[in-house]
Amino acid sequence: MSLKYGVLGLLKGEPLHGYEVKNRFESMLGGTWEVNIGQIYTTLQRLERDGLVRPVGPRGDRGKLLYELSPEGQKALDQWLAQPDSGPQQLHEDIYVKLLLATRIANGDLGQLLARQKRAYLQRLRDLNRLEERARRDGRIDLARLVRGALLHTEADLKWMDELSSEHFGTEGAKPE
Amino acid sequence: MSELVRLTDVTKVYQGGITGALNGVSVSVEKGEFTAIMGPSGSGKSTLLNMVAGLDRPTSGGVAVGGTDLGKLGEAGLARFRRDHIGFVFQFFYLLPNLTALENVLIPAQLKGNAAAGRARELLERLGIKDIADKYPARMSGGQQQRVAIARALINNPTLLLADEPTGALDTHTGEQVMELLGQLHGDGQTILLVTHDAKLATRHAERVISVMDGKIVDDARLQSPERAPSDVIRVRGEEATRWGP
Repeated sequence: MSLKYGVLGLLKGEPLHGYEVKNRFESMLGGTWEVNIGQIYTTLQRLERDGLVRPVGPRGDRGKLLYELSPEGQKALDQWLAQPDSGPQQLHEDIYVKLLLATRIANGDLGQLLARQKRAYLQRLRDLNRLEERARRDGRIDLARLVRGALLHTEADLKWMDELSSEHFGTEGAKPE
Repeated sequence: MSELVRLTDVTKVYQGGITGALNGVSVSVEKGEFTAIMGPSGSGKSTLLNMVAGLDRPTSGGVAVGGTDLGKLGEAGLARFRRDHIGFVFQFFYLLPNLTALENVLIPAQLKGNAAAGRARELLERLGIKDIADKYPARMSGGQQQRVAIARALINNPTLLLADEPTGALDTHTGEQVMELLGQLHGDGQTILLVTHDAKLATRHAERVISVMDGKIVDDARLQSPERAPSDVIRVRGEEATRWGP
């Protein structure tokens, strides 16, 4: 959903062409979300159909058509911004299912799974740190804040791995050797 | 790079409890490395650091630093080794309250019989605290105290800088600054062993992360630092545009 509102938000400032919307959207996201121009046009067309944006000036070449926010669009944007994200937590990565399976399958090798995942998280923390540094260097405090959120999430993932390995190795340690 | 620290099958048994014990740890650290040691409380990570510092002796196994077998040194020899080769930074700074910043920094040099006021002032300047040279610890912020402690650790040009939770008593921002400082020292070639709970901070500067659990090394990760495109590090993603409608 946020591409729709991202486009509305960008049009709040000033009327824009499709290409300008694409460039500004990608630049706002600092390269963390790439969209193709087709998606932008589709989005603009649907927003127009729903009365949330409208074309400015004569309808000529599609690439040169300027769009602006309609009063309805303004209202929809304000409502969306005011609405907290209260849906279910999104867990997109494979580790969650891998973990469940490794616990079920006799030779799932949970210890190895945790150790490898932990290492991946450590490397991710390093990459995120570098990205945050770069964002700050470029004066992109908004982007640095986004990366900071990702850093804290990854830190939590790492703590989760530690907790699980502690449990896992603890059980193993209790067995006679 | 050449090897600076080698632990061979180091075991430490503490009477009356297993907390902080070590159980057959073997590891080596190269000159110039910035290594973080991480693990839960009581896992033995501080014990590991104390072994390298010559502050504690293993029950069995060997510790060598810069080719010197610490097990062959007597108490006086060990004290000399610490003074000449080890800089130690602690969580709670441990500055002497009745000495100024400059005087605190000078203690290890005086123990060595060196007049090092020039170098001490240089260090204070390098660490951004030359303005507080004549202040007493009670008049300094936590971050300033830790910087003074780092200057004190560096005054004798240690082969190895050891830091045990150096940001543990500092707020996030000050902790970041102190860690930044360690990163700069590493950039200048300082070998650093850091014990920390903070993986975010550790991975910002350290290139190697050793994980300790129940007295054993359970992982030894060398981190890469390639330039990555933002989208290879983070993907911000909502639902696809094509998913809403019709």
